[in-house]
Amino acid sequence: MNREIQTFSELDRVIHEPGRLMIVALLFAVDRCDFLYLQHETEMNKGTLSSHLSRLEEAGYVEVVKTYRGKVPQTLLRLTEAGREAFQKYRKKLKKAL
Amino acid sequence: MDQIDSLLKRPRAYENIDGVGELNFGFMCLAFALIQWLQVNTPEHSIWNRTYVFVVWVGLMVMVMYFGSKAIKKHITFPRTGFVKYGTPGKTRSAIVAMIAAACVAAAAAAGVFFAVRAHWNPTSALPAVVGSFVAAGYALGIARTVPWKAAGWKWAVPVSILLGSIAIAALPADLTAILAPNALAITGFRAEPVGAYLLCLMLIGAMFLISGGITFWLYLRHTQAPAKEAYEPGNPDVQ
Repeated sequence: MNREIQTFSELDRVIHEPGRLMIVALLFAVDRCDFLYLQHETEMNKGTLSSHLSRLEEAGYVEVVKTYRGKVPQTLLRLTEAGREAFQKYRKKLKKAL
Repeated sequence: MDQIDSLLKRPRAYENIDGVGELNFGFMCLAFALIQWLQVNTPEHSIWNRTYVFVVWVGLMVMVMYFGSKAIKKHITFPRTGFVKYGTPGKTRSAIVAMIAAACVAAAAAAGVFFAVRAHWNPTSALPAVVGSFVAAGYALGIARTVPWKAAGWKWAVPVSILLGSIAIAALPADLTAILAPNALAITGFRAEPVGAYLLCLMLIGAMFLISGGITFWLYLRHTQAPAKEAYEPGNPDVQ
């Protein structure tokens, strides 16, 4: 198999999905943010965003903390160290493949 | 890859989505212009020329900026489009860039004053043009890096206006700018012409930033609204 094509097959499939890639890229650039911010930036509906976040949380890439801002419930999200490393690796591999 | 890079830049642009950064900078420039105008328009021993008054003024200005922007973020921005906390490395880098930019502007302003006060030099020619072009360049660099053309192309009118306005101020007759700072020589040690031109330039920059921040804030309010409140269900990440 061609080496470049092989690199494509080695891409992290959890991150490679377009919706999750958007989420991980946005989280990579911040320390943490809330659910509403991700919803605003990605323009996904709550259900879709929530399912992508669950998948990323299962993979250990995203940490979800439920808290309150005053009396309003708030879901805070941050990329874990594993998530940061995985995203950096993904970018390197994608760059190499392209 | 370009799309990923643009996604990585989005949180940086989000920092000023409500125009608070520009409002703060504009307010700061106008507050400085006002206190300095009061200083050079009142007698040497007036209250405005006391050091403690200047310190209190700066303290009040910083408090208004800090608590004002915090209140806007807390009550308007975060409930409408979400909360973001930026990482320390980015903040440090931004602080270093801001410090270098401030040092460059200060050096340029000092050089402008130095050349302007020399007897054989046209007193109003250097200072506003130098300060205005530095601020315009810094602002243009900032919007080029964070604001996509399609999203807010009108913002390019701000650096262009600052640049053209500061050049126009530099070309004003010396007598005209001197009217703004009649007591400048006694109080600052500089002649009235360059001080008046500097004050005009500071007012222009402050006004342009305030207008730009105001438009950004108005557009933000117009295009966003807080999500409808839903019943809280523990464990449901959908509910904010």
